[in-house]
Amino acid sequence: MNRTAVLALRLAGPLQSWGASSRFTRRTTESAPTKSGVIGLLASAAGLERGDDRRLAPLAALRFGVRADQPGTRIRDFHTAHHPDTDKSMPLSERFYLADAVFVAAVEGEHTLLKALHEAVRAPMYAPFLGRRSCPPAGPIELGVYEDARLEDVLESVPWQASGWYRRRHRHRPPDTLTVQREKAADEPEATDTLRDQPLSFAAAHRRHAVRAVVTTQVPLPPNPPDTTPRHDLFEALSHVPDDESA
Amino acid sequence: MFLSRFRVNTARPGARRLLSSPQTMHAAVMSSFPHLLPTDAPTPGTPRVLWRLDQRARAEILLHIVSPDWPDLTHLVEQAGWPAAAAPESPGWETRPYGPFLDHLATGDHWSFRLTANPVHTIRRKEGEPRKITAHLTPTHQMAWLLDPERQKRGGFRILEKPSDRRLLPHGTTQQGQPHHGDQYELSVSDTRSLAFNKSRIPDGTRTKKLVTLVTVTFDGRLEITDPDAMRRTLTQGIGRARAYGCGLLTLAPLAQPTRQPS
Repeated sequence: MNRTAVLALRLAGPLQSWGASSRFTRRTTESAPTKSGVIGLLASAAGLERGDDRRLAPLAALRFGVRADQPGTRIRDFHTAHHPDTDKSMPLSERFYLADAVFVAAVEGEHTLLKALHEAVRAPMYAPFLGRRSCPPAGPIELGVYEDARLEDVLESVPWQASGWYRRRHRHRPPDTLTVQREKAADEPEATDTLRDQPLSFAAAHRRHAVRAVVTTQVPLPPNPPDTTPRHDLFEALSHVPDDESA
Repeated sequence: MFLSRFRVNTARPGARRLLSSPQTMHAAVMSSFPHLLPTDAPTPGTPRVLWRLDQRARAEILLHIVSPDWPDLTHLVEQAGWPAAAAPESPGWETRPYGPFLDHLATGDHWSFRLTANPVHTIRRKEGEPRKITAHLTPTHQMAWLLDPERQKRGGFRILEKPSDRRLLPHGTTQQGQPHHGDQYELSVSDTRSLAFNKSRIPDGTRTKKLVTLVTVTFDGRLEITDPDAMRRTLTQGIGRARAYGCGLLTLAPLAQPTRQPS
């Protein structure tokens, strides 16, 4: 019994920061969530400890993809800080963030594992954050588990998650396509783009990442999310013949 | 009792005037009843005129009125409706008898409801100060105002709880185990509005200096009827304060049927 499933997440918040190659005091961000960031989010929600590489391995083996629904703006933070106890100044650093971005991230893998991760994200052991602990998500992040689905199809079919203001602003000229960055399917040729964000270990003393091949494709703009504002037609109740068993 | 619905034509200046002040709208609504004199003091504990504005889109604003008498909204149609489209059989608004529906309410019925209300409490900032009526400003407090068990019992209804698989907080508690009703109930708060307007005149004809300030919120949710008589009282007399200003009218609608998947 080897069914696959896909777990979709909506990564949206005022600020996000997804570093893949930062060194020293210049902490850059990629323009889309990194695999290590999202797998780390899932692992912390499931309550894995940082050094627990054995339990991290099945999570790191999930096939990962991300869709940019709202690209956001890259902003630079000139960061100054003093140590709270000694009042010594910390090194000056530059930290980059994505402001006002919305992404749909998805992981594909074995059915029971994803079910468990879905439960973990709904009741997380450690609160999820968007790449850096100072970047909380705006609202619930899970978009549900898709049974017997493929990553590519889910990233095409999940409704467009961009904010209301962004959809309104672009209603006359919405984007034709959205950019998807994902790992290749089994039957695809080897990708040439690489990114060093395949998590090997999140140990606090020594985090290790391997290189991962990334396929970049375009998907047609998915439909808008369904309107969730409650409809309330009170004249319906008057014409409604009440029966004995309640709905 | 009668239930009426009137669509406001937002393209007309008269509509702007009415929508910009609950005071003006209240006067217009009360003018629909020839037997209701402005000098009459309303008798407490009897059905009264209640109204509410429902806005779904910028140009989709519906005025709902529940009233003991048949309303004549001709003046509203002339000022803020579509007077040329009015015909004897469709005068520009819809009114239906409310009594048969009220008589059919039974204990244990589940309905979806909507209520625009003015959730307030009284506070005293320091000892010995007179108590002062103050609006609830956060969604959590506004929900708690409606979820108050005493208020639900008086109103004859019980707000339903969500099944645990649809809750954000599966056990109704935060991670630290603190009880939190935030997502436990089939209830949502939207459209919080702070209104401030002048009462145009007081009976002796001088303008008042006193502003009327109101915070109104719209609750949407699902309830179960626990006491049909109390529920009828709630539906015809309203809940909470500011009933003259578009608050307190609770209305029921059938629960949404599960949408069928196209096969």
